[in-house]
Amino acid sequence: MTGWHLDDDALRRYVERTDSLTEGASAEQHLLSCEPCRARVNAAVDVIDLAAVWDRTRDAIEVPRPSVFERLLHAVGLPAHEARLVAVASAFRAVWLTGAAAILAFAALAAAFGHDHGVWLFLAVAPVVPCLVVASSYDPWMDPALEPELVTPYPALRLVLLRTIAVLALALPTVLVFGLVIPGDAPFGWLLPAVGFVAVVLAASTWVSPLRAAIAVSSAWLALVSLLAARFGSPDAIIQGRAQAGFLVLAAASFVIFILRRRQLRQLRPWG
Amino acid sequence: MGVAVPTASINLRNVGRTFGATRALANVDLDLKPGVTGLLGPNGAGKTTLLRLLATALPPSRGQLSVLGLDPGVPAERTSIRRQLGYQPQEVGFPRGFTAFAFVDYIALLKEWTEPPARHSEVRRVLGLVGLSDLGAKRIRAMSGGQRRRVALAQALLGSPAVLILDEPTTGVDPEQRVVLRTVLAEIARTSIVVLSTHQTEDVAALCERVVVLDRGRVRYDGPVTDLVRQAAGRVWLADEPDPAASVSWRTGTGRYRNVGARVRDGVEHIEPSLEDAYLLLRAGSWEHEPAGGVAS
Repeated sequence: MTGWHLDDDALRRYVERTDSLTEGASAEQHLLSCEPCRARVNAAVDVIDLAAVWDRTRDAIEVPRPSVFERLLHAVGLPAHEARLVAVASAFRAVWLTGAAAILAFAALAAAFGHDHGVWLFLAVAPVVPCLVVASSYDPWMDPALEPELVTPYPALRLVLLRTIAVLALALPTVLVFGLVIPGDAPFGWLLPAVGFVAVVLAASTWVSPLRAAIAVSSAWLALVSLLAARFGSPDAIIQGRAQAGFLVLAAASFVIFILRRRQLRQLRPWG
Repeated sequence: MGVAVPTASINLRNVGRTFGATRALANVDLDLKPGVTGLLGPNGAGKTTLLRLLATALPPSRGQLSVLGLDPGVPAERTSIRRQLGYQPQEVGFPRGFTAFAFVDYIALLKEWTEPPARHSEVRRVLGLVGLSDLGAKRIRAMSGGQRRRVALAQALLGSPAVLILDEPTTGVDPEQRVVLRTVLAEIARTSIVVLSTHQTEDVAALCERVVVLDRGRVRYDGPVTDLVRQAAGRVWLADEPDPAASVSWRTGTGRYRNVGARVRDGVEHIEPSLEDAYLLLRAGSWEHEPAGGVAS
């Protein structure tokens, strides 16, 4: 028997496991030698919803923890359940995003220190990364649970667009970061091609699978950049205003085609 | 979330489905009510195509299809159907790295279970129904084939749907679990329409009141299981050698031959026919007599 007893608040915190590690250890030590407090603990346990405690315990084990990306999406205003729906795509796994960031970082370093050749490399690589990530985010080869997904009431078109917007939203801060290390307009020159290619992939995936579309677009872009690099020394051909306006038109036209043909998306096609 | 509809029914009138030049289903007329209906048929008979039509995963090429009084061809009505539908396809691909809980939780999100406590509780309930309570945190890729099949079934059971469409739900599942799943499905079928396809005639015999036999896209038989079995009475017998008069013969574990023939045989050792015998007979050809109960065509 000791000369003191746990007060009601401390006892409650101990029972509900909301106390600190130190306080819990102290309470535990006291309970070992205090019969009256042990009796009070027993009484308090009776009024606790043990089922709820058990559910919380199982939640801690079973419920997937939100990824950094999912928390970010929720923080910028997407409801928690939609943030989960967007972030569960394989394309948004940390390993893929890290890989994509590493490729971009390598290209950015080449642009920062490799003069025109480096800038060409950066302009070749940077726009294709977002379009490959977008395609991966809803391609059934990457996430093959297609049929159970197909017959749920959640609109497939909304899911595709949310994942696309999420990729583009990731691309914007990347531009800002690159702007700090790459001289000239190159850090900004890749954004409109990227948006254009993403729109082309969306439109093309109403005919073919998204990944095939993205691979075709990326290959065509890499070939075009190689040709331009061989013909012109400077990457201005891509960065200059007229070319950028062309990418904007490409993006707008592709998006219109995508909207007109949205029911031909593989996720919706059966009822098109 | 599933809503039980007291007068639930699925109606098909002259429904057909083609893929290019291939006819997968032709002139199918069916009325399905609450209870378990089993679909039997050889590979390529059209079972999966029919189930995909019922699950709104595929539109019919012709004919009228109505699910719970709603037209799946109308987008808003199709969404209403999907709110009351559970579907387990023949092949379910599981996204990489998902645990059983995470996968069922993901499908629950798509089925509009937006509140985490209710959703998590529902996910646990359906995982419990298929005997996977303790494996929620296990990665699906590390599970056995039978366990994966049960994960696929669990997502179909979310929300106790009014219509449950299952494509070979017991394939690869061990006998004990199959018995458990039969109990679960029988309970659900008290208020819901359950349609399942299988190659396991014992599952149909144990679970289904009604059986539909498909062959080359057409309904060959539609009626009570007991009536189909009755068609085989007098056409199954044991002998020491394969009987040339039989349509199908095979050596049993006792060393004797089980013979199943289209004609009623006299002077032989008749035994009680099983659903498998009746199904084999139906596949081998037509009966000598008009069927007593169901409709064979």
